[in-house]
Amino acid sequence: MKILVCIKQVPDQESRPTVNQAKTWAGYDENASYWINRYDEHAVEEALRIREMIPKTVVDIVSLGPERVKSAIKRCIEMGADRGFHLYYDHDDYLSPSIKSRLIAEFCKNQEYDLILTGVMSEDMMSGQTGPMIAARLGVPSAASVIKLEINPEKQSIQVERELDSGHRCSMELLLPALVAVQSGINRPRYPSLSNVMRAKNTEITEIRGTVSTSAYEYETVERISEVGFNRTGIRLEGTPAEKAAALWQLLHEKFLL
Amino acid sequence: MNHSIMIMCEQSEGRILPVTYELIFCASLIADRYDSGITVVLPGNIAGADSISGADLLVINSPGLAEYTCEGWEKAALLAAEQIMPDIIIIAHTSTGYDYAPRVAALLEGGCITSVAGIEFIPDGIRYRRSGFHGKLDLLYKAGKPPLVITVLPGAFPANVQQAEPGTISYINAAIDPVFTSNLQFMIPDQSNTELEHAEVIIAAGKGIGKAENLQMIREMASCFSRSAIAGSRVACDNGWIEYNAQVGLTGKKVAPLLYVACGISGSMQHIVGMKDSKTVVSINRDPDVAIFRHSDICIVEELEKFIPEFIREAEKHTVKGKKQIPIY
Ligand SMILES: Cc1cc2nc3c(=O)[nH]c(=O)nc-3n(C[C@H](O)[C@H](O)[C@H](O)COP(=O)(O)OP(=O)(O)OC[C@H]3O[C@@H](n4cnc5c(N)ncnc54)[C@H](O)[C@@H]3O)c2cc1C
Repeated sequence: MKILVCIKQVPDQESRPTVNQAKTWAGYDENASYWINRYDEHAVEEALRIREMIPKTVVDIVSLGPERVKSAIKRCIEMGADRGFHLYYDHDDYLSPSIKSRLIAEFCKNQEYDLILTGVMSEDMMSGQTGPMIAARLGVPSAASVIKLEINPEKQSIQVERELDSGHRCSMELLLPALVAVQSGINRPRYPSLSNVMRAKNTEITEIRGTVSTSAYEYETVERISEVGFNRTGIRLEGTPAEKAAALWQLLHEKFLL
Repeated sequence: MNHSIMIMCEQSEGRILPVTYELIFCASLIADRYDSGITVVLPGNIAGADSISGADLLVINSPGLAEYTCEGWEKAALLAAEQIMPDIIIIAHTSTGYDYAPRVAALLEGGCITSVAGIEFIPDGIRYRRSGFHGKLDLLYKAGKPPLVITVLPGAFPANVQQAEPGTISYINAAIDPVFTSNLQFMIPDQSNTELEHAEVIIAAGKGIGKAENLQMIREMASCFSRSAIAGSRVACDNGWIEYNAQVGLTGKKVAPLLYVACGISGSMQHIVGMKDSKTVVSINRDPDVAIFRHSDICIVEELEKFIPEFIREAEKHTVKGKKQIPIY
């Protein structure tokens, strides 16, 4: 079986994004740390588990982005993935998921993956579009927000359980090839083993420079970015932890909550 | 510019879900300004269609649309789009909406904006608002070449129930038959949690508590209040610190206590929908820019391990010996 896991590298959520001069996008300074999107880490783990069940399975990783995303791909190889592909794309403005999914679908065209796994969304932008769009462009079925999956090799199908709103669930069967966007809670991602860390040192990540001219498409764009507004009063308590604690007690006491 | 707006009706078991009226409200804001046509597409024969006013209806009849499949809904949307030729397609951002909406956009070669929280009008057209960058920034989007598919967050617009002119009804008889997908089972796991439902004060733990041992501190904080319970964000539940039946949010519980204290929770919109109706919200977080602060009445920028023990000490100072409050969890 041939599996592809699409991963995104995301900035640490406690880093502060700085809005550019044109107010059309935001970036992070050199000190910001990046990690693998949490949902995608679950997808990698799920792929590795399938490989443990089904012999001769190959797990590929692909990520789109600037040079730094290589470290995220490497981390997946350290977790146990077989091969890494880097779709090099250095952008510091909004890149529509429509374009991302085009580039990744283009990459998939001649690879004949039986299963493509992604996270249900990215932690930073939360669009949740790239996965389903890749599937649509490849003409394969997809399921989003999957919290359980099982491959049926004889039937060439995958049985998935989707999480619906309010915690309801439904199960369904998709014919392979298919794309599954996994939800957190599906598994606990493993830590890299020493042997895989050693192996990753000698594993080349294949870099692919985009061939699709993105300017040919006119998808949605981000026109303006602003600080978020406040939906509530948002009073900030000041002082030492003890002073803040006293102030909070007082405020809650006045509201008869204490 | 006039627009042609297509809305995908959100349904469950053959009934229209209220969020559909919110989508109609959203569309009517555009229609009022630009004199645009609105068509609501009903995948399958859905009861209560006569409750829809101010829009035309297009019913797509097909045995394959008896229940939701990504494939079926995608085909229905494409079929409808062929007839309506919309430049804006509005879908609810629900577990069905986000499953198929991006696919429809890709197949129509249109742009897509998900979890739209609002729309704005500027002289040269419509802008769509959603948050990004871990919910820290507001982004205003502009459509590219039509069509544009948007998914709208439930609750972002009021439900339109006012009576407007009823529109026309047309039907398409189609042979939509999902070939790649078959539904197996629908499940409602037992997630009841009466403590949480009755609690007046909820102390909620997020990933920021860092480790299971820190739950003790959360419990102690809860015991400072009467009729209190503890709850968690999804990550806190995924990590096994809090039971899933105490998860607050989109895929968990919707709660509205007198006081909600978010401890180390970032405030993603999936969490916010579960607690936004709380009377008072207090958030403790070490990140001064964290999204949860915009949904809070009182914000405390602090490490949990420093602040919570101080708060417990403070509360104990005020408690008369032997009259300590009894939590209900
Ligand atoms: C389809 C779908 C459904 C979902 N449903 C839900 C749902 O029902 N409920 C839900 O909660 N989530 C849900 N999520 C997940 C949601 O998007 C977020 O990932 C999740 O809410 C984040 O949880 P968190 O805030 O605890 O963790 P994080 O986002 O990791 O935030 C941790 C916070 O703790 C702070 N922090 C860290 N250390 C400390 C410290 N020592 N002191 C103080 N602060 C600290 C950090 O600054 C950060 O703000 C859903 C996601 C999807 C895709």
